[in-house]
Amino acid sequence: MSIINYAAKVINFKLVYYGPGMAGKTANLQFVHRCLPDDNRGNMISLATGDDRTLFFDFLPVSATSVRGFTTKFQLYTVPGQSRYNMTRKLVLRGVDGVVFVADSQWDRLKENVESLRNLSDNLREYRLDLATVPYVVQYNKRDLPDVAPLDYLEYTLNRGARRVPAFEAVAVTGKGVFDTLNTVSRMVLLREFGQVQEGAS
Amino acid sequence: MRHDLVIYETDAARIDAVLERFLGDSSSAAVLLIDRSGEPLAMAGAARTLDTVSIAALAAGAFSSTAALARLLGESEFSVLFHEGLKESLHVSTVDDDAILLAIFDERTTVGMVRLFAREASQGLGAILVEARRRPRRTGVLAAPLTPEEARSAIRQRPA
Repeated sequence: MSIINYAAKVINFKLVYYGPGMAGKTANLQFVHRCLPDDNRGNMISLATGDDRTLFFDFLPVSATSVRGFTTKFQLYTVPGQSRYNMTRKLVLRGVDGVVFVADSQWDRLKENVESLRNLSDNLREYRLDLATVPYVVQYNKRDLPDVAPLDYLEYTLNRGARRVPAFEAVAVTGKGVFDTLNTVSRMVLLREFGQVQEGAS
Repeated sequence: MRHDLVIYETDAARIDAVLERFLGDSSSAAVLLIDRSGEPLAMAGAARTLDTVSIAALAAGAFSSTAALARLLGESEFSVLFHEGLKESLHVSTVDDDAILLAIFDERTTVGMVRLFAREASQGLGAILVEARRRPRRTGVLAAPLTPEEARSAIRQRPA
């Protein structure tokens, strides 16, 4: 749900990192937090269990470049990946403007990826949103591990809906692919909000 | 379902007036109007010195999880959430389906006073937000689509 505040000259968007447990959603936010200048980010909040599994959400507010004098701000959220936390996942999706699906590339996690993607689709439907239309990208994380499925296979399994969405290979703990993912989804959100002048149009 | 919200200068001034009155009447230290998606919409009092972005995200999360708890018990919602601290306490209440009102207060007032005036403020705020949601989304400088250059804008990493 975008919020435009003409008085404060701010436009706010909400991005949610979704995916199965241990896929690297929190690692994405931690890398973004580490690599943004202090002026462009707020405090990162993690509501996690004692063993560092996300219990409710992680939260990181970031500022992007401004559009016509308005500061664009993106509130980054993760959801808890474990299947038993579906109710909290649903709550975090409220008002979402863009989604990053973080998939675990390892062969033995394929089933969890598929289940999580289906769960994302179901939960979005409750807010009358659809993966076919909401700004959405896929990130294949953990590409540095030995037992990962080939990219083509992951694409065939996880990115063959009504539209093929941008997909990125990533190693979130080292930062590989993290900003490509974030910048692409944030541009998609901006384009959905404003539309774009056709290239070459005067 | 998109509940996009546009707050124009006139809306912001009216919201600020209601919040300032609530702040004074209830003798709270700080008050915040928060969208249920976790975004702070307006504030008054000492809120300006607090990390309101984090407070809004956490309060919206707590309130939405409380609402989910209520539904499990067959209630439509718990309309008030109250946390009592040693020095400062927190009162969060419903404005409408999309917004909540948070007050931070200390021993200078009571939860009863905050609750009383929160109810009155919520009515005023709700009416303003209903109007704001009906307004056109983009006017003036934001009316035109993005240029290719604007569409390429990015969240920039700190140089290594």
